Amino acid sequence: MAQASALGRPRRVIPGLGLSFTITTSTLAALVLLPLAAMVAMSLSKGLPAFVAALADRRVLAAFRVTILAALGAAVVSAVCGMLLAWVLTRYRFPGRRFIDAAVDLPFALPTAVAGIALTALYAPNGWIGALLEPLGITVAFTPLGIGVALVFVGLPFVVRAVQPILEDLPADEEEAARLLGATRTQIFLRVIMPAAAPALITGFTMAFARGLGEYGSVIFIAGNKPMLSEIVPLLIVIQLDQYNYVGAAAIGTAMLMVSFVMLMVINRLQAWAAAR
Amino acid sequence: MNTATVNAKKIGGSAIEVRAISKRFGDHVALDNVHLDIRPGELVALLGPSGSGKTSLLRIIAGLEAPDSGQIMFGAEDASRRQAGEREVGFVFQHYALFRHMTVFENVAFGLRVVPRARRLARGVIAERVTKLLELVQLGWLADRYPSQLSGGQRQRVALARALAIEPKVLLLDEPFAALDAKVRKELRRWLRALHEEVKLTSVFVTHDQDEALELADRVVVMSAGKVEQIGAPGDVYTAPASAFVHEFLGDTNRLACRVAAGRVLLADGGVLGRAEAPDGEAIAYVRPHELDVVPSADAPAVIHHASTFGPLVRLIVAFGATNLDVAMPVERWVRLGLSVNDRVDLAARYGAVFTDPAGPAARLLPMVPGAPFAAAVRLQGAGRRA
Repeated sequence: MAQASALGRPRRVIPGLGLSFTITTSTLAALVLLPLAAMVAMSLSKGLPAFVAALADRRVLAAFRVTILAALGAAVVSAVCGMLLAWVLTRYRFPGRRFIDAAVDLPFALPTAVAGIALTALYAPNGWIGALLEPLGITVAFTPLGIGVALVFVGLPFVVRAVQPILEDLPADEEEAARLLGATRTQIFLRVIMPAAAPALITGFTMAFARGLGEYGSVIFIAGNKPMLSEIVPLLIVIQLDQYNYVGAAAIGTAMLMVSFVMLMVINRLQAWAAAR
Repeated sequence: MNTATVNAKKIGGSAIEVRAISKRFGDHVALDNVHLDIRPGELVALLGPSGSGKTSLLRIIAGLEAPDSGQIMFGAEDASRRQAGEREVGFVFQHYALFRHMTVFENVAFGLRVVPRARRLARGVIAERVTKLLELVQLGWLADRYPSQLSGGQRQRVALARALAIEPKVLLLDEPFAALDAKVRKELRRWLRALHEEVKLTSVFVTHDQDEALELADRVVVMSAGKVEQIGAPGDVYTAPASAFVHEFLGDTNRLACRVAAGRVLLADGGVLGRAEAPDGEAIAYVRPHELDVVPSADAPAVIHHASTFGPLVRLIVAFGATNLDVAMPVERWVRLGLSVNDRVDLAARYGAVFTDPAGPAARLLPMVPGAPFAAAVRLQGAGRRA
């Protein structure tokens, strides 16, 4: 760095930019960018028409629809329930609170296939919960609803863990001030608490949604995987691979990548807008 | 400034009556049967050390805490039956508690915007009132800023404007100046006093700073350990403290263990401090530094340890037995005495308070011979020791 400053470049306060930049970019390249680039290259290896043909299939389009809708729906449910759970965990003291707090992390640690099997057992028409819903005409297992249930299971902890620290740091006196100024509970929640929690909530929503788009293990057991109805995109990729159709698998993967990228960018914009307010 | 129109409807605010309020937190008694009468338009300080219950009392008046027993009356109305949000109380928090994601304007407008639609003022009327309030606190030019972009003093004034926006019956301030630096604190204190003169809203503020309480308040309520020790005008609580605690808490003072015998106040070594009409027995005498005098005396028990001059006063630390006493005297007198550090001196009190019962009232401590305190003290102290 001394040489650098002798050459007239401004000296940085924190040394090691060159080294850390090299490590960061090479790691990112080797682990993320290179495989993705390889996938895109593979998908186009038989030309654009083959790429389009692989996607234009009705079964593929249906899978995309199911995957995106289920992931979005599950992310919304996760956001609502996760916010509620985080609220309860930060605001109330009750026996078993620490146990529930710890249990929130379980979906992170549990192999998702285990979760999928457990959820299937519960929600199958003869399972504990499934048997209760059956008379009401609600079938969860082996339908898109089942996919949503599995995705809420994996998505919920993202929301809770994103929102919880923000709610914990929220000063009580702002709420008291609002109360004394005559605000109702609903007004305090909507005008004082939500604006403070919104950026974190959107972060949690985004992570739950992104996870939902790519989730495989927990979904395939409960989804039933009926083509056109409850088949998700990641499963389709696996099916293509089983049939040695690497280009088809790569094409679906590339399309998935683009869809995810666009949706995450939109949400990011939304979050920046919320944070700036 | 156009304060009259802002609060024209409720000039004076309501009287506050605290009736037999008690509050416990677990084993800790925060407030013990507290009574208090605050007149309309009065500015009252709740003064006491931390843990004396002053903040709990303020929060109970506001409705943020529920008392275990007792009542809060605003005028003829029982406020304890109302929720905090319905008490029409303006509250300024110690750390301002401004809404971080709202501009200054939105903060001040909040209390007007959350009113149910049927009673809510028109948008234009709200904007007009907020603008007036921001002018009142001299912050009109900051309306579009966020709280994080303001200085501590500015935030404090925004908090005040927000509290006044709902035209409260009473204004409550929790340690309003504690988080500010000394210079801003002094300015804001004067400004708040001037504002109160204009608005004349019944106001109660909590402080642990005696200067603040004595300078700002019409009346001071001195609290200790959940009880009211004394209520009175600033001058009265300072010159006629009702208990040893009040004397010790207000202003600098020296505490001397002594004994009363036949109207004379004797120090541990037998020297005479002064006279007092108190029953014989052990007692505590309090003498403020500027009421304590030193007189040169070669065989005296006290020694000057330290002398520092700044401004018009010389401040001495005088070692007397195991205790260090503070003495303050005008520079001229110090020069005339011709004393220096390590000189031996006799002590004499011009005025003080003698407590035979720490919770009871004081007997006045006076020089032995009225009108000739210094000469008399020298003569009689010498005599006292020989006796």
